[in-house]
Amino acid sequence: MALYPSQEWCDKWKDALNNDPAVAESGKNWGVGFKGSLVFEVSPGSGLEKTHYIFLDAKEGKCLESKMMDDAVSLDPGFYVTGSYGDFKLVVKGEKDFIEMVVRGALKLKGDMGKIMRNAKFVRAVANSISSFPNEYLGE
Amino acid sequence: MANIDDFIRPKEWVSDFVTDIGKVLREWGKDKYMPVRQQIDEDWRDHKLVKPLLKEVLVDLGINAAFFPAEVGGTDIPETCTLVCILAEEGGRIDSGFTVAVLCSLWPMLPIILKPHRNMELLQDIGPKFCGETLYVGCNAMTEPSSGADIENMDRMRGKTIQTTAKLIGDEWVINGHKIWPTNSGDVANLYGVVCTTKKGSTDLNDFAFIYVPADAPGVSMGGPYQKAGMAADMNTDIWFEDVHVPKSYRAHGPGDDLKYFTEMITYGNMASAAMCLGVMKNIYEIIKRWTTERIIAGKPLKEHSMVAAALSEIAISIEATSAWIHMYCREVDHPEIYGTDPWSNKMAHKSRGLAIFASQAVEKVCSTAMDYMGSYGYSREFDVEKHWRDSKMIGLWMGGLGLKHLENARYWYELETL
Repeated sequence: MALYPSQEWCDKWKDALNNDPAVAESGKNWGVGFKGSLVFEVSPGSGLEKTHYIFLDAKEGKCLESKMMDDAVSLDPGFYVTGSYGDFKLVVKGEKDFIEMVVRGALKLKGDMGKIMRNAKFVRAVANSISSFPNEYLGE
Repeated sequence: MANIDDFIRPKEWVSDFVTDIGKVLREWGKDKYMPVRQQIDEDWRDHKLVKPLLKEVLVDLGINAAFFPAEVGGTDIPETCTLVCILAEEGGRIDSGFTVAVLCSLWPMLPIILKPHRNMELLQDIGPKFCGETLYVGCNAMTEPSSGADIENMDRMRGKTIQTTAKLIGDEWVINGHKIWPTNSGDVANLYGVVCTTKKGSTDLNDFAFIYVPADAPGVSMGGPYQKAGMAADMNTDIWFEDVHVPKSYRAHGPGDDLKYFTEMITYGNMASAAMCLGVMKNIYEIIKRWTTERIIAGKPLKEHSMVAAALSEIAISIEATSAWIHMYCREVDHPEIYGTDPWSNKMAHKSRGLAIFASQAVEKVCSTAMDYMGSYGYSREFDVEKHWRDSKMIGLWMGGLGLKHLENARYWYELETL
């Protein structure tokens, strides 16, 4: 099992995304003509001591890159998600749905919402993939 | 400088994400709908302009799929009532007639897509069609020629006047009847949600049935579009069902539960109606603010005259009050765990009738006031006030009109026993 967050976890997420036919099918238009990259800014708490950044790049239904970053300064992602480790942990565990957490405001998603709405099935597939493999967590 | 985004919207309850979804619709409207808004009235019969726009919103912007479960291709967005009202508000600001066409695609689906009473068996069949790449539209067929809003007056009429019948023969329902006025009738809808009775003349609430009927099923026919004062983007026709056969599984739930979740639809109808009125009022606010700022009378802007300022204040008050009320009830519908009120309860349906009345009366007054201070300009097509004025009148008339809405609201607050 990979520790969330870690590079090992990022690698597993990339594998999960690239082995998910729903991601491939629904993401055909994702990242075409716009930046399909996302940064997840995970703020401290619930066992996490400092802010972590996870960079995910996806295009045309494929995950191109998934990696831990020291900061978000050098990044110019298409979309930016912020939230506490405690809330992200609920999503990664599958106890809460990513979209539900965004709609309820626990996680903040910024970027071109038109692209999100036009690619809602892809976002749903990515959200489902987050909790599709077992992990270990800090603070537990 | 104050603008439409400064009116009440509780940020504690409406996340930035939901507000941003509304703004996507706003931007889409600015780019795609506003340039043709004044031509929509002439499109009432053919919907040559409306149909592609409907596809853009329902399919391309994902509104049709928004509330369907992920298992059937939907986005499964929670806090349904809040998002419906945000969409209704933003849409109402653009064109309430178009917005009712958009939202009525989903309205009859609510009994089977809302949690915790999803009908997954039926959704496996119907869901992918709504969540696909081609336009697939729903239509709620309830009103009938002989009884009108009696069908929604279930507390007193108890389904006695429903003339559309559903008879179970083998593994199929056989539907016979005649509906009038459904939004998205004509050749717009692909699937009707039809209010039926399983026993004509019965007052047993278990005989109320809500059954889905594909528009292309043999025996379904329709009349021509009605020409109305407004709401041209909302196509209404007669629909006839003559020995129409649908699978047994096309009944939403079954005896008792069909009415229960139909009642929830009424609540959502009230809420969305109020939110559409709010959107119209916000657009009127934009129009009248600009007009009274730019129009110079007796050496100063029109808004600087005290009588005009008082009228403008009344418009702002109407918007603030309507918005606050809507969001309070949205919270109550979306969070039964806090308020202890089931979204399908008569209490919520009856209380939200009061909101619908308040909003529809407020929008009438706001449109009329704007016209008063714009004079003949407000009555001309160029400034869009007259369009909102014609369109929004219908919001107060549908779903039982003022009479039934007042009765149901009074039934809750005063425990009426004879009305």
